[in-house]
Amino acid sequence: MKCNRRLLISFCTAAILSAATPLLSAQAKAAEPMSLKVGQDAPDFKLQYFDGTDLKDVSLSQYRGKKNVVLAFYVFAFTGG
Amino acid sequence: MKNFQQNLQKLEAADTQVLGVSMDSPFANKAFADQIGVTFPLLSDWGGDVTHKYGIYVDKYKAARRVNFLIGKDGKILETQVDKEAIDPTKIVAACERHKVSR
Repeated sequence: MKCNRRLLISFCTAAILSAATPLLSAQAKAAEPMSLKVGQDAPDFKLQYFDGTDLKDVSLSQYRGKKNVVLAFYVFAFTGG
Repeated sequence: MKNFQQNLQKLEAADTQVLGVSMDSPFANKAFADQIGVTFPLLSDWGGDVTHKYGIYVDKYKAARRVNFLIGKDGKILETQVDKEAIDPTKIVAACERHKVSR
């Protein structure tokens, strides 16, 4: 009887794990699609940065017809990447 | 951001302005730039309006997702890189050089 119970427990554990695995891996892979796609207009913006003395304005439109722009969004200052 | 700094000359040579963006304050970003030796502007999207507009706000972190947008001179998006692949700027550099040749 004891043996059977152990078997049942291990069976249940395996069942739960195998049911959960696709969920977990789906979550890890879930690179959500981007709402802005290649070929679309990049929304204009005006933001500021501090150059050590003053706050300076930067807009996307100021580069139009002059330069390409790499907008590199990062999560937080003082972290890697 | 350091990776972009290391490739800044190549990017500038390809007519490309690099702008970092995060939801930190301008002063935190300046301190961050100084600490890691970044010379291009790190813009402050305090409040996250632009992050929302670009559709990359992550609720869980209350911050932007790690994404690069390469935007052409005509204002159109040429390339995007998301999450882990956004850390390595090699593709952006290659894309800038490619677009420079084609235009």
